[in-house]
Formats: sequence, C-alpha cells, structure tokens
Amino acid sequence: MRRRPTRREFGAGLALAGTVGLRWRPAIAQTNEVRVAMIAPLSGPWARQGQLMRMGADMAIEEINDKGGIKALGGAKLTLVVADAGDSTEKAKNAAQRLLAQDPDLVGGTGAWLSSFTLAVTEVTERAQLPMLTLSYSDLITGRGFKYVFQTSPTAGHQAAETLPTAMQLAETAAGKRPKTVGILMDNTAAPMSFAKPLRDGGLEKLGLKLVVDQVFTPPLSDATPLIEKVRSSRPDFLLLLLSAMPDNKLVLEKLDEFKLSKGRLPLVGNGSPLGTPELKNIIGADLLEGLLFSVADWPFKGDEEMVERFKKRTREPWMTQDGLSAYGDMWILKEAIERAGAADRIKVADAIRTMNLTTGPAALSFPGPIRFDENGRRQDVPMIFAQWQNGVPVTVFPAELALAKPYWLKES
Amino acid sequence: MKSAAARRRWAIVAVAVVVLIVSLVIRSAYYQLVLTQVLLWAVLSLAWNILSGYSGYFSFGHAAFWGLGAYTVTLGMINLDLTPWLGIPLAAIVGGLAGAVIGYPTFRLRGHYFALAMLAYPLAMLYVFQWLGYQELSLPMKRDAPLLYMQFADQRAYVVLALGLLVVALAVSLRVENSRFGMALLAIKQNEPAAEAAGIDTWRWKMRAIMLSGALAGMAGGLYAVVLLVVTPESVFGMLVSAQPLILALFGGVGSLWGPVIGAVVLVPLAEGLNGELGDVLPGIQGVVYGVAIILIILGAPEGVYWRLRDRFAKPRAAPLIAAEPVPAVTRSDARPTNRGDLLALRGIGISFGGLRALDNVDLVVREGSLHGVIGPNGAGKTTLFNVVNGFLAPDAGEIRFGGDQLTGLRPNQVCRRGIGRTFQVVRAFPRMTVLENVVVGAFVGAHDDRAAEQMARAALDRVGLADRAAALAGGLTTRELRLMELARALAPLPRLVLLDETFAGLGHDDLGGILDVIRRVREEGVTVLIIEHTMQAMVRLVDEFSVLDHGKLIAAGRPDEIVRDRRVIEAYLGRRWMDRVTDAVA
Amino acid sequence: MDLPPFLLEFLQALAAGVMVGGAYALMCIGLGIIFGSMRVINFAQGDFLMLGMYVAFYLTTGYGILAFLGPYAGPIIAAFLAGPVVFAVGWLVHRFIVSRVTGLGAAASEGAGAYGQIIVTLGLSLILQNGGLIVLGSTPTGIRTPLSRSSWEIGPILLNQARVVSFLVAVALVVAVYLFLGRTRTGKGLRAAADNSTAAIYMGIDVDRAHRIAWSLGVGITAIAGGLLASSQSFQPYVGFDFVIVMYAGVVLGGLGSILGAFWGGLLIGIVQQMSTLVLPYQLQNTAIFVVFLLIIFLRPQGLFGQLSERT
Repeated sequence: MRRRPTRREFGAGLALAGTVGLRWRPAIAQTNEVRVAMIAPLSGPWARQGQLMRMGADMAIEEINDKGGIKALGGAKLTLVVADAGDSTEKAKNAAQRLLAQDPDLVGGTGAWLSSFTLAVTEVTERAQLPMLTLSYSDLITGRGFKYVFQTSPTAGHQAAETLPTAMQLAETAAGKRPKTVGILMDNTAAPMSFAKPLRDGGLEKLGLKLVVDQVFTPPLSDATPLIEKVRSSRPDFLLLLLSAMPDNKLVLEKLDEFKLSKGRLPLVGNGSPLGTPELKNIIGADLLEGLLFSVADWPFKGDEEMVERFKKRTREPWMTQDGLSAYGDMWILKEAIERAGAADRIKVADAIRTMNLTTGPAALSFPGPIRFDENGRRQDVPMIFAQWQNGVPVTVFPAELALAKPYWLKES
Repeated sequence: MKSAAARRRWAIVAVAVVVLIVSLVIRSAYYQLVLTQVLLWAVLSLAWNILSGYSGYFSFGHAAFWGLGAYTVTLGMINLDLTPWLGIPLAAIVGGLAGAVIGYPTFRLRGHYFALAMLAYPLAMLYVFQWLGYQELSLPMKRDAPLLYMQFADQRAYVVLALGLLVVALAVSLRVENSRFGMALLAIKQNEPAAEAAGIDTWRWKMRAIMLSGALAGMAGGLYAVVLLVVTPESVFGMLVSAQPLILALFGGVGSLWGPVIGAVVLVPLAEGLNGELGDVLPGIQGVVYGVAIILIILGAPEGVYWRLRDRFAKPRAAPLIAAEPVPAVTRSDARPTNRGDLLALRGIGISFGGLRALDNVDLVVREGSLHGVIGPNGAGKTTLFNVVNGFLAPDAGEIRFGGDQLTGLRPNQVCRRGIGRTFQVVRAFPRMTVLENVVVGAFVGAHDDRAAEQMARAALDRVGLADRAAALAGGLTTRELRLMELARALAPLPRLVLLDETFAGLGHDDLGGILDVIRRVREEGVTVLIIEHTMQAMVRLVDEFSVLDHGKLIAAGRPDEIVRDRRVIEAYLGRRWMDRVTDAVA
Repeated sequence: MDLPPFLLEFLQALAAGVMVGGAYALMCIGLGIIFGSMRVINFAQGDFLMLGMYVAFYLTTGYGILAFLGPYAGPIIAAFLAGPVVFAVGWLVHRFIVSRVTGLGAAASEGAGAYGQIIVTLGLSLILQNGGLIVLGSTPTGIRTPLSRSSWEIGPILLNQARVVSFLVAVALVVAVYLFLGRTRTGKGLRAAADNSTAAIYMGIDVDRAHRIAWSLGVGITAIAGGLLASSQSFQPYVGFDFVIVMYAGVVLGGLGSILGAFWGGLLIGIVQQMSTLVLPYQLQNTAIFVVFLLIIFLRPQGLFGQLSERT
C-alpha cells in the first residue's frame, strides 16, 4: 500500500516548526531593561544604509546607558533589538512580525529606510500599537491615517516646497541673478516621485521657473549619455538632481563632467542623503563633487560637532550621514518618550511622542527644528537643511543658524 | 478497493485538517504569517506545476500572473473600493486571461526559447507599472468595516483563506492528473510530435494549461497583496517571484501533486528561519546557507524530494486508469472494404528546405485496403513525404486528398483525427509511461471518454500481440517491443490508414518475421498501410505496390515484380556502374 | 558643425548604444559559450560578472597592485586579469558542483538534468551574492579612472573613452574566441560536444572536459566584461542581477549556440536600449528591450544567427 504523503508532510512540518522555533520562547525583558527595535536592511542591495543606521543607534544606546539609562524607571538599561529587513517587502514585514511576536516587551522602534519597507513594517507595528519612528519621507507613510507612525523627515511635498525657493534665494544672493529655467533629472522611485510631483503641478510656475528638460528614468541607469545630451541641448539655468542610488549618481555626475557641464557650468541642486555619502567621494572624486548643493531632511549641524567626532572615531567613517544621525536621534527621542511616559508601555510611549515638544537635548540636536509631531505623525515647521560639498566633505550650509559653513553658488571658472 | 484518485482526495483533506490544527495550536502571529506564506507560495508553485511541471514547458515568468493578480486586488480596492472578496476572484479571471494572451504567441516556441520568452513578460510589466506611477501602493486600512475588506485582526483568518486556495489548487491539480488533460500534458512533455501525431491537440491543451495556471497564480497573488498590504512592482513582478515557484517545485518534485507542497513546507520556513536567526548576526550568511542547502539537496535528489522518496520507498507501480477488465474484441464492422478506390492521393507534392528541393512533383496513390510501400535510397525524401502527409510540414506545391477530403494545411492532430495513424523512424515512446499508457494516449482521439480509450488501447495491444507487456515501462522495452507498441498506438483509434516509417530498422531476422505477420494481419482487418522501408527483401514479400523515390522525385511505381526489374530503380539503388553489369548479366 | 538637435541626439544615442552594446556583447559571448556548449541556463552569470568587477577593482584602486601602470592602462589590464582568475573559480565550481547536474552526468535523467541545473545555478547565485556581501562588504565601490569621464570628440559627438576602450577590447576578444572555437582543436571539440555530445564521445572527445572548458571560458569572458564595466559604473555584491536579463536577451536575440550571434545580440540590445530614449520615455528603456526581444523570438525564434533544428 502506498504510503500517504500526509505523514511525511506532517512530519516535515513538525520538524520545521522545531527548527524555526529555536527562539520559540519569547524574550522576556529583564526587570532592569527596556527594549526598543530597529528594523533595517542589513543584507541585500541596501545593506550599507542599514549598517549606517545601526552604527548611529548603537552609539546612542551606549551613551544613554552610560549616562544612567532610563531614570524614570530606576536607571533601566535601554536595549536595542535589531532585525534584518532584507531585500524585499515580504522579508521586511516578516522581520517586523517576528520581532513583535518574539519580543512582546518592545516599547518603540525605528526603521526601515526604504519607503516600501517602512510601509510594510508599519502595517504590522500599527496593528500592534508599537510607535515607530522613520526617516522615510514618502507622503503615503503618514497619509494612511495611522496613529503610531512618526516621520522625522518632512514629507516629500514639504521638502520640494522648501528646496526650490531656498536654492533660488541662494542663487540670487551668490550670483546676483535669479535663475529663470530649470531642468529635472530623477529616478522613478517613490521619494523623488513625491518630491517632483508638486513641483510639476504648478510649484515651479509659482517661482517663475520654466521647466526646459524633464527626464525620469528607471534605476539602475545603464548609460547617462542620452539623458545628459538632452540636458546639454536645453541649457537650463540649473539642474535638479533627484537620484537615490549610487550607480546612477556616478553615471550622471561623470557624464556631466564629460559633457563639460560640471564645475560650475551647470549649477546642480540635489535632494536626498545618497548625494552625501563617503563612497560617492571614493568613487567619483572630490573635485567633481565640489560645490554640489543638496537638500536633505537631516544632516549634522551646528551643535553636533562633538557628537559627530565621537561617531567618526568610533566607526571610522569619514563623516556622519543622515542614516546614522537619524537613527541616533530616534533612540534619544524614544528615551525621552519613555522618561515622560514613566512606564515601559508602548501605548504610553506613543502618547508621549505625540505630545512632546523638544527643543533642547540630544534628541533635538539630532534633527533640525523642534521635535513635535502632528496628529498624522508629521513634523511641522521643519527647516530644510542644505548641505554642500566643500573641500571633499558635505557640510551644512543652510539655514544660517544651523550652518557650519557658508554656501556659495558655483560659477563658471 | 478505493482507487488511487480517491485516496489522494482524502490525503488533501487530511493535509487541510493538519494545517488547521497547526494554525490553531500556534499562537504566535509571526508563525501564522509564515504559515500563510508557505501556503501562498505552495499555491503559486502548484499553479506553475500545472503548466510547467506536467507539460515540460518551463515558465520563468509566472510572476506576471501573480503580479497582475496582486495589482488587480490592490487597484480595485484603492480606486473602486472593491472588496478583496470580489477582487480575488477577479484576479483569477485576470490571471486566466493573461495566460491566454501570453500563451497565444509564446507557445510557438519550445524548450529554452519558451522559458526565456516567459522571463521577459513580468519584467516588462515591472517597468510599465513603475512608469504608470504605481511604485508603492498600500491597501487602505478600513477601520470601520474590516471584515468586509478582508482585514482581520487574527492572522489565522488569512491562514484559513490561504488554505482554501491551497485545497482548490490541489483539487484542480488532482483533476488534471487523473484525466486526459494530464495524460495529454505528460505526452506533450515526453514527446510532443508523437503526441501531435497521435491526435492530441497540443495547442489547445497547452493553452488550457496556461490559462488554468494563470488563474490560480493570479488568485494567489491577490491574496498575497491582502496579506502584505503593500505592493511594489519589484515585490510582485520581480525575478525572485518568478524563481520561487520553480525552486519549490523542482526541489519538492516537479510534475507531482505533492512536490510543490513539500517544497513550500521545507524551503519557505527554512529561508525565513535563517533570516531570523542569522540575519542580524552576520548579514548575508542566511543567503549562503540557503544556497548551499538547495544545491546539496538537489545533488542528492535531482528531480526533487518527492520522486526520490517515492523511488526509494514505494514500488513504482504503474497504476492503470481503471482496473483491468477482460478485453472485448474490437473490430471494425466494415472490416473488409467493398470498394477498392483511392484512399490517399498525393498530386504534385513539392517542398524545399533552404536551397534543397526535398520533394519535387511527387504523385502517389494508395488504394484502399492495399499495402503500399515507399522505397528509395537514403535521403530520397521518404520521411519528408510522410511528414507532409502527416501535417508536420506544409508543402509549397501540390495537394493531398484523403478519402475525398483535403488534407493539405491541416495540423498533425487534425490529420490523425481524420483517420491516419503514424509511427516514426526513431521510435517516439513516452519512456516514463507504461506501454498501456503510451497506447492510451493514441486512443483518446477516437474515444469519447477515458474508459473507452483504455479499452481501445487494450484491444490495440492485443492486435499487435503485446498485451502481456501492458504494465511495463516503455523505457525498458526491446526494439521489437517498441515498434509493436508504436504500431499499437497508431492503431488504437481505429484509423483507416497507417503510415509506418522504417518499422524494420534495427530488427533481427526472427523479429522481422513477427512484425511482418502483424502488419499483414492488420491489413487483413481492413486497415490500409503505407510503409517506408529501404530493405528490399522484406518489402518484396509484403507489399502490393511500390512507389520509388530518388532525390525527391518519383521515379517508378507499380507491382513488386515490375519494380525489381526496373532499370531506373536499380540505378538509383546501385548506381550506373552496377546497372551496366546487371543489364549485361540479364541480357 | 551645427547639427539640428534631433539629429545630434540621434547620433549621440547611437554612439552610446554601440559602446554600451560592446560591453553587453562581451557578456553575452560568455553566456553564449556556456549556453551553446552545455545548454545550461546559468542564472549565476551576472554574479561571475560581479566577481570580475571586484577582481579588477582590487587589482587597481583596492590594493593598488597594478598602480604602477597608471590610471589609464591599469584598469584595462586589471580587467583582462579578471578573466583568468574567474576562469579558475569557474573551473572549480564546474568540477565540484555544476558537472554533476549537466552534461553526461545528468543526461540520463528526465529533462537531461534541466531541473538540477536551474536550482544549482540559482543556489550558486545566492552564494556568490551573499558570500560577496560577507567578504566584500556592502559599500558600493568603483574603479577611479579619468577614462570614465573623458571623451574623444567626433564633431559635436562625444565618445566616452572608457566605453570605447571596452568596446575595442570586446571586439578583440570576440575575434579571439571565434578563432579559438574555429581553429584550435579544443575549440572544435567544444563545438562538437555542443552539437551532439553522444556522437562527440564516440569521436573520442572528452565531453566532460569540453564542458568544463566552456563553462570556465564563459564565466571568464563575462568577468572580463565586468572588469571593463568596473571603470564606468559603481557596483556592490548584488549588482549581477541587473545584467542577467540583458545577457539572456542578447544571447537569444543573436541565436542560441552562435558566438557571433551573441556578439550581435548584445550589441543590438545596447543600441535598442539607448536609442529607445529618442521615442519612448526614459523609464521604458528596458521595456523596449523586452519588446524587441519578444518580437525577435516570435518572428525568428532561432535569432539572428541561430539554427532551428528538430528532426522528426
């Protein structure tokens, strides 16, 4: 008689339940411990970003604990639990679900860098009422009516509205002339798309700018020649670069150089922290990057110098980028929230985040503007930071009260 | 005694019950999520299996259906406020239609070409969806009417839904396997031209398979969107999604009912477990371990776990479709033809390959009830002629008439339906099927149901004297037995004409005699026989009439005693020099 | 010389297409050798490309072994050296893993081991990518050379130097491979084994060895293509993925089994990709590739140079 497959299947299933359940006993927090989570890509194409976030978060945790931990809970230590969001939304969601199932004592978290991962992760954390901080800035993240998602970056729409006028202001101040035409070069990932939409829908017109070249590509770019050729033939007064991946950055910037459009001949304004990474300098060279201006939700500013030095020494990174800084700040925000909540209770912590208004302290020093969230989890009144590559390092140049150097508008030499 | 099919149906029920119990017992929402994913990927893999596992047409593009299903549900909910309860069935329809649209042009290809073409579809869709602005879509949270929109607080509800889909997929697969659908696909997989010549409308079955496959995949993709709540082009159209059902099925046992399920049950939790345990410890190690694991296992079981286990633990019993019954003698009532008219008439047939004129103005007339031989030296075009009659090749000149009907331009399976059977020069068996199953494939064309087909097959085996080998696997037969089996398959649907292509090749003297008897007997029973051979000796004893081809042209036709003395024939076979010697000797 | 803007864009796109196509052509040849000789769909081909990129990188910018050659010659020589290194890796991989599921070892089982091949090469891909992450790190890198941002000028048309160099190298290698396969004994053995492995055995050709050479040569050549690309673009361990599709499209386009076909196929893909931007939105560049790919497959399944053969 033929053996039924069911037995085999059943057995296999049980065996697997066993192996997978290596951590089947949920982790129970020690009495003197408060647990927070970080869900970020640690493997896959975005691994570098996740690793930078982890570096920032680790440093914050160490500082918090060295300074005595959570005082409201008798000096309880803050512990970070990390999960790998991997390379797909499915893995990110699984990571979030796993953390929540295996760690019922989590009180807050941060993640997941890529906006689609953040969307997937927050679907889980929202239903578990776990407050999540994120630097992802696609509008959809806080546009779902969720109560437990807090976006530390201004939304893409807000960033767009701030970037252009400030860039033009800088241009006018530096060069004495207001630009009249603009070009847009961008990839079609979610963040640049939400950034550019309001601009195309009348934002540019309002500023008196004519859009003379508008190119959107699907990353990864194979070759930038046709793109830059179009830019060259339309000759905008300045070019808006909304790129999110390293290979595209290299191809575009080098092609601009090749077409003799670099080094001031065509002023560039970018958006997004990928334009300020150390690897960009290693791959392209500081000379090509000199003067590149980019707006970013978060970048080390005045008051952070000492903390950044510590980060550099600890991680041997040449400077701190948004990824590390945000994650660092998120940990401090959570610490403040737990202190205010007075309990290791996620709902109370969420309430504390909703009602906080931090203007001083390490949390406030990690983000421009006051740490205050509206009922959608968005921050209001956040100045857009501009960083500029000067002598091989991107430094904050705007707004003036946060600047570490003065901005200049590249002119043809 | 319960039939195999009924037993498997109970097995499906048992599996469903087990899964339900497991999901009730497990409390962790995480494990339930993983279980849901196991089930969904199993459904996609089963869907893939229906097309690719059974028919051998490997698809590297099933993400196309999955993704379309996911987007149907998502866009339906976002734009039309359509609940997934309706959206998922709609996704099935979309998937089925996509299967038709994709299959229609792509089935012209075979093998690797087909697989690679399939690869292109989901990737092209990926870019299009990004361009359309659907980079990130999230299913809106319906706080006021969650159940209406399939938004459950308890993860178990999704397990139940996914289980429902799995049961449907298993039931469908089982139905396919146990019907002529499955046989047709299997025949296509093992030897498509033979299947075609045996009367199987390969096109139609392949289209049905891909539509069914697409519908199941689309449905599963729709539920996947509901579970994940976030849909991006990469996550539903990406290469990894296309590769997943493949890996699961190949690992678990391709072309079997349980293979995809085994694959899903083992590999999905394994990957997720590795992610969980090792992901934060040494990022990347989970991928390495997974890769090593699947390589090692596939080296040990190249066709999948299921087949390896079955070979090891269960005797490969070739289960007949229905239990053995005494075979009634099936003969045609009009066995002896009353008129000796022309059954098959070829006029002016011509065809070229590249610059070579393979057949040139060939006329051939086969009288009903006769045994007609086509001979000629190697390369004369004999097999080409058969291929033209059969429908594998379309002539560029001339016409073919069969009993008054036009045959030119018909596909091989249609030619077979008209009553023409065929054997091949190189035996085209279905090696992994039994002798009986091989012959049944041929009988489908003449039978209105599977039972009748089996009876006809048994009768045919009896006719050729191979009834005792009915349960043997075709892969292990001797040349003589293979030839007889092919003959049986051609005879099963009771054709009026059979085309025998070099039936005697590879046979020794004794075997030859046996086959000659069979052929004569077949002719006695009223079947017209057109046979290709180039061994004169055997043919001379057998046939009524000859047509002689040389270099694509008909050089002689007539009775054996005339042909043997025909100068042109001798010259064609032996060449000019010999010709002179012969004429000298004869003269 | 003042050209009307559309003509200028047209010529520039054509030039870019030809040069990008040169790199693709070289990759495709590597894949074409493997596919043509072994009928194996190697999903890990992109990852061997990635290996080539990293070898070239470490020989120049990374460890500076070839620094003495300067920033112009260094990257080119490094790209060449990537070939033998990855050839050796491929040799070992075939010997211990791939040969068990391809060629004669697998000919007996159903589908001639096609199933095993797919899983093995997919597994290989996973190992290379993730192993690469562990060993090489996640930070994107690239070779720094002035070649990638300088160009030669023909009137108003700019020809990127790094791309031109890789194009010339690709052409040179194609010729070399062609001669190898056509004139040398080993090469002919490879072609015989590809056409009909059973007959080849009877002819005394060591089919297993022929396959090993084909495999190693295939991945080695693709690695050289990677090494050349390393000067033009940045990469990280998962970069191989992006190129697998292009390679397959090119090989099928050119005709499975034809080396010359793989060359022209890759070139054509490059041209289609770049020139599609003249009429289509940039975002649909790769969709254009697939559309052309599908069209060719339907209208002429054997590709430009391949042969359809099916004996009845």
